Amino acid sequence: MTDRPSILVPLRVLEGESVPEGVPELLANAHVVLLGYHVIPEQTAPGQAQMQFEDRATERLEEYETIFEDAGATVERRLVFTHDGQKTIDRTTTEHDCLAVVVPNATGPVEDVLVAVRGAVGIDRLARVVAGLFGETDVSVTLYHVARADETDEDAGTLLAGLEDRLGDLGMDTSTIETRVDRDRDPLDAIVEAADAFDTVVMGESDPSLSTFVFGMPADQVADRFLGPVLVVQRGPASDGVETDGEA
Amino acid sequence: MTDQSVDAEPAGQNIAGEAPVEEPEGVTDDTTVHDDDVELERTIGIVGGLAIGIGTMIGAGIFVFPGLAADNAGPAATLSFAIGGLIALLVALPTSELATAMPRSGGGYYFISRGMGTAYGAIVGLGLWLGLMFAAAFYLVGLGHYASAVFTELGVALPFSPVIGIGLLFGAALTALSIGGTENTAKIQNVVVGILLVVLTGFLSYGVLDAVGVFGGGTVPEQFFSRGYFPVLTTAALVFTSYLGFAQVATVAGEIKQPGRNLPLAMVGSVLIVTVFYVVTIFVATSAFGADRLGQFGETAMVEVARDFLGLPGAVAILGAGLLATFSSANASILSASRAVYALSRDALLPRKASEVNLRYGTPHVALLAAGGPILVLVATGQVELLAEVASFLHLIMYGLMCVALIVLRRRDPEWYSPSYRVPGYPVVPAVGALASFGLIAFMQFESIGIGIVVMLVSYLWYRYYAGDVTLKGDI
Repeated sequence: MTDRPSILVPLRVLEGESVPEGVPELLANAHVVLLGYHVIPEQTAPGQAQMQFEDRATERLEEYETIFEDAGATVERRLVFTHDGQKTIDRTTTEHDCLAVVVPNATGPVEDVLVAVRGAVGIDRLARVVAGLFGETDVSVTLYHVARADETDEDAGTLLAGLEDRLGDLGMDTSTIETRVDRDRDPLDAIVEAADAFDTVVMGESDPSLSTFVFGMPADQVADRFLGPVLVVQRGPASDGVETDGEA
Repeated sequence: MTDQSVDAEPAGQNIAGEAPVEEPEGVTDDTTVHDDDVELERTIGIVGGLAIGIGTMIGAGIFVFPGLAADNAGPAATLSFAIGGLIALLVALPTSELATAMPRSGGGYYFISRGMGTAYGAIVGLGLWLGLMFAAAFYLVGLGHYASAVFTELGVALPFSPVIGIGLLFGAALTALSIGGTENTAKIQNVVVGILLVVLTGFLSYGVLDAVGVFGGGTVPEQFFSRGYFPVLTTAALVFTSYLGFAQVATVAGEIKQPGRNLPLAMVGSVLIVTVFYVVTIFVATSAFGADRLGQFGETAMVEVARDFLGLPGAVAILGAGLLATFSSANASILSASRAVYALSRDALLPRKASEVNLRYGTPHVALLAAGGPILVLVATGQVELLAEVASFLHLIMYGLMCVALIVLRRRDPEWYSPSYRVPGYPVVPAVGALASFGLIAFMQFESIGIGIVVMLVSYLWYRYYAGDVTLKGDI
């Protein structure tokens, strides 16, 4: 099992966030990086929280580790005390080379997956996640694209066909894959609406821009509105371009 | 990412049977790593580090001391501040080296306990905690002066002096806020420091131009050493309280990102920046009024200077800035004191209970109360100069010992000691830093020295009684 995709599962372990139903089965074929983190206020030294909470947090994480392992995943565990949860998630994603981060929401048994495809960028990582997780299962995969005004139906078709071929290369049975294109809509609304009929959404991370700064990442917004788990495929380290140095 | 091992192995137990918490396995640019895959995230960048240093320091030097210092030393008070800055720099450089070798919470206490053993560590650690309380009390009394100046400005005549009352009120409010508040205090601190630097830069630029005669103001003619040479040194000892911020950066060393780069930059940078601001401020203030009149204005002398330059708007701006600055200094000191309590309790020199985290707010309520409570008692005394000097005394002992610890560590050269920043001019810089720190104490008032020595003695006795068996010194 060399091509298990690494998937980060971040849990606020001390605030009662536990492994939601359905997620262990969803990630049965993944290498799960289980990140338990605890966000503390600035007044508190992280070590101080560690002194008091480490045992309890570790106990819970061990429990969750077993749940994922029982479902079939391989698991790696991390416990982090931090002032800045997002920084911790981003850093752990990079350090463990995770292809995707799960927004952990509960789901029933996963039967169908919506894969939202934005463009050709990062499509290889998207393919590796989808093929790795669902390649050897009966889950039906639907590739979905919201075309922009200046994009022809042909362009959109080529994009999805390319991804389909890539999934085929990775060993998936392409006959079960469906494709669907919508246009002239706000991509976000379209994805949320389409997702309604599915158990899980796989989508790419957007590049930071002014609107993502103001309204938050589209992936987070989808996760907020769609009630099931969302797999957010991360930008590769190569396309990371600008290294963020926090406030510096 | 550079991996660095921290190989000091604490041992022993205190009287309550608590042993020091195990040391972490290593330090990376982003985390402190403990065994079993537990990590402590580093989240403070260079801006945050500078804000802690500058935010702690700038309150006192500009908004409390100019009047007092000019009264003591005349225009040569400029020189007193320059001497203070130089000593601070001589200590900040060795501190930077120690901090990059041991980027852990606790600052000076941590370096000295690991470098020189538990007894020195306990004296410095408990002294640091108490010293920060004296400093915070001093800032709060300063805040009280500014707040009561606001009342005067508004024409509200009070039958009593509100200085102490306001200081107490703010002290209690700050403690309560840091226990119950989950706001992003560090971000607020950054903004406050930014605003302060902008206001001060504008004000001082005008002042300098005025002093050289651009606006026809010119300098009040006065002899530079109008009070003689000796008061320059005693004043340097007094105003050294306004340089006590840079080592506070080291108390959060465990939370600084890329510690090898950011710690030295934040510490040395904040000392250099505030020294320039202080020296210019005193120059401007004494040029505008002359030392005698400045001295009569007391703690809020800068308000009068601003009024002289820019009329009422100037006075209001400096009043506002003074409130912000003393408030941020007091806040930073209370938070550092709570970090010091945590470091001591981690090493079993104080009960483990002292660093307990509140389940509801996630804040260390015992440690914060242990800092905030005594501060109120100290504020109630209202003795600005005494509070300032005792704070300076306790810090100077720590600074001197940090320089000594550096020399000790360099000479023994234990395997785990591999700082990524090395102090230039070794051994001259740390040796002069130590001598200057201890030397400055000699110029303090006898009362301050006495109180300081009592605090050290009590700290030592507490260590013998409570944690005589605990060893913290690194493998040597």
